[in-house]
Amino acid sequence: MDESLIILIVLSLCLGTGCWLVFIWAVKKGEFEDVEKPKHRMMDDD
Amino acid sequence: MTLFAEQTCSHCGISFRWKGISGDGDNGTVFCCRGCQGAHRMICAAGLEDFYLRSGRAVPTVAEALPAPFNDTDLARYLTPEGDLCRFDILIGGITCPACVWLLERMLVRVPGVEHVSISYSGGIASLRFDPALVTPLELFSVVTRLGYSPRPYSAGRSEQEAQRERNDLLLRFGTALFLTMQLMAYSYALYAGYFQGMGEEMKQFLQYVSLLVTTPVVFYSGWPFMAGAWRSLKTASPGMDLLIAMGALSAWLYSAWALLHGQETYFESAATIVTFVLIGRLLELSVRRRAMSGISSLYTSSPQRATLLRDGGSCTVDVDEVRPGDLLLVRQGERFPVDCLILEGETEVDQSLATGESQPVLLTGGDEVRSGCVNVAAPVTVQALRPVGQSYLMRVASLVQMAQAGKPGLQQLADRVSAWFVPAVILLALLVCAGRLLYFGDSAAVAVMSALSVVLIACPCAMGLAVPAAVLAACSRSAGLGIILRGGDVIERLATTDYALFDKTGTVTRGLPGVIRFETYSGFAGSVVLQAAATVEEQAAHPLARAIARHAAEHGYQPEACRDFHAVPGRGISGVLPGGERVLCGSGVFLQEQGISPASELHSAGSATAVLVAIDGQQAGRFLLIDQLRTGAGDAVSGLAAAGITSAIISGDHQFAVDRIAEEVGVSSALGGMTPDQKLEYVTELLQQGQRVLMVGDGVNDAPALAAATVSCSLSGSSDIALENADVIITGDDLSRIATAYHLSRATMRIIRQNLGWAFVYNVVGIPLAMAGHLTPVYAAVAMTASSLLVSLNSLRLMRFNRHG
Repeated sequence: MDESLIILIVLSLCLGTGCWLVFIWAVKKGEFEDVEKPKHRMMDDD
Repeated sequence: MTLFAEQTCSHCGISFRWKGISGDGDNGTVFCCRGCQGAHRMICAAGLEDFYLRSGRAVPTVAEALPAPFNDTDLARYLTPEGDLCRFDILIGGITCPACVWLLERMLVRVPGVEHVSISYSGGIASLRFDPALVTPLELFSVVTRLGYSPRPYSAGRSEQEAQRERNDLLLRFGTALFLTMQLMAYSYALYAGYFQGMGEEMKQFLQYVSLLVTTPVVFYSGWPFMAGAWRSLKTASPGMDLLIAMGALSAWLYSAWALLHGQETYFESAATIVTFVLIGRLLELSVRRRAMSGISSLYTSSPQRATLLRDGGSCTVDVDEVRPGDLLLVRQGERFPVDCLILEGETEVDQSLATGESQPVLLTGGDEVRSGCVNVAAPVTVQALRPVGQSYLMRVASLVQMAQAGKPGLQQLADRVSAWFVPAVILLALLVCAGRLLYFGDSAAVAVMSALSVVLIACPCAMGLAVPAAVLAACSRSAGLGIILRGGDVIERLATTDYALFDKTGTVTRGLPGVIRFETYSGFAGSVVLQAAATVEEQAAHPLARAIARHAAEHGYQPEACRDFHAVPGRGISGVLPGGERVLCGSGVFLQEQGISPASELHSAGSATAVLVAIDGQQAGRFLLIDQLRTGAGDAVSGLAAAGITSAIISGDHQFAVDRIAEEVGVSSALGGMTPDQKLEYVTELLQQGQRVLMVGDGVNDAPALAAATVSCSLSGSSDIALENADVIITGDDLSRIATAYHLSRATMRIIRQNLGWAFVYNVVGIPLAMAGHLTPVYAAVAMTASSLLVSLNSLRLMRFNRHG
């Protein structure tokens, strides 16, 4: 019981860390620099 | 000057009254200038005709775009090599809608050698990556220019780059804190449950160690800005919010780390949540500041970079910086005046909205002065420069705005004021507890220090961190529903303490558009005949007065008929022939006199109203009186503020008598006319020095310095960019009474914030003695913390029920 809990906790930490790394990558790439354009982007069909 | 019937340019959509240029083929296209024709041809050749379907008819006129005055060596300085490619940033003037961005990106990416194009919609900055062997920067510029936009090389100012770095840095810290805190809460709830239901010692220890693992980066990496701020405020002995946060987070972390080693209950979640919540606030604050900065650069954008200098019988293009007072310049139709200057030759209509807020073009002739940044609408003129560019109107306003922003006394915010006495009190108490435990109870040093730390820890509850942001968040979303945009939380506090309100007249209290208030007939003409005649003739003209009369006639059911021989004299009036053969004249008294009719001189004017006289077949037939109409809710705004004890005044650049009339109508006792931007600023600073807290409401470029200096500023949607960027409160829609609503909402919000902070203190009053006695247990902490945070949140939600009269 305890072992499975520990495994799950470690697993969730690993998953979270994965998301966190994606977030860091996104910030570095400048994904959050212009939040105005993407909402108009969806109107483009190409 | 002969004018043609009104036509609409097929590219930029402006209405114009000169001989247009027909498009290719016989498809009925017509253009206002060669540039628009060229742009249209380019767009069609590229197969991007869709542009005309998706744009909201807001394409900049090509005439506004300056001819590309740059050369490749100039531009080479702005290139940044990136491997084989070059990076090139261009500031593109004239981007008004997403369709502009769409078009520019597609046209630029088709240029051979261009690898990547990305244009930011908000800033209008294009970031290009291209192969310098295949295309030169100048060729890229010419693509942009030919489309009708004005490109300029852009090198992000140092402050701007700094702000961007700061924002990214904060975003990383916040993202990290949020992710780790979410993980941490799962462990904390498990530990809470374990406390009540019992839990294996091993499991508990494991969860506590994992908690320590995830909390440490939150406190020391994400919380680093607070630590640094706390250190600064310690050095300057000025306790503030940073110190309180750093103290709370650090003491919770230290206490928990110690407790973990001694097998006691931990409080890691309290350290992490404080840091996370406050980081959200910081992030919002930074984005607000960023928008204010782009306001200044938008003003610089409207200042022309090159001027056409007339010298020795020829003309040459020079940099505006090289223009000296006394130089002769040519300003073509559609161009902006590069510096403050005097018109020498020619007659034209000038759009002075940038300087006076007046949206109506004004007829200017030789001897008249024009300010830099105003647009020459009708015809080319020769002018003499009066001042160098740095001392001209546009740059003077820009520097006034900067000065006003810098000189604004930093308002100490409520949270900072509270912590200014709260922090020393807590530290003192903690020291007393530590000393008491050591000396009086004779406890060990470790126990004494722990008790002191627990006092600090309990004194910084989450409720305190939530008290202000939760209320601000609720207020901001409620105000958005009421058509009011609040720029940040500090605005609410400043608005709530206002005791003097200043309004601009044209465009703020009034619509800035004339409307008919009275219609009279003479010489036995029937009203229906005169209205029908006026409707038919005025329909042909684009002048705001003509539009107002045509609108008035339409409202009374008179539709225009076919008009022949239409003729207009700029600044005077118009004439035309009705289907029945009657010749109709509409215009000023002077115009009728010139046409051989002598209307009684008392009819020429009527107080502050503008009179438009109508003559049919040489006989004076009627008269329209027009005035600038009040905006909806202007009176309600003033009376709503007066009910709360706020004095209102009008400050305007318009003539004193026009200002007095409006002041009387809306019920304002004090009104000042003929004010320049500097005088408005001076008036605001004077009031501030008298200790008043000033609310400034304005819409024009000429209001911008006063807006920046005022305690709190308000603009309406549709105001000039610079006014909007400097406004703390923006009213969407037409109803000025919303400013009173905003004021009452801010008062209600402050009430809620005080209640929230009050509750957080009650929590402390109960908690601190418990902590001092060493009876701080996790049960108490978990229940009390959750309950008080919930209470604070629910209390803040009451703001969502606020209504207009609330």
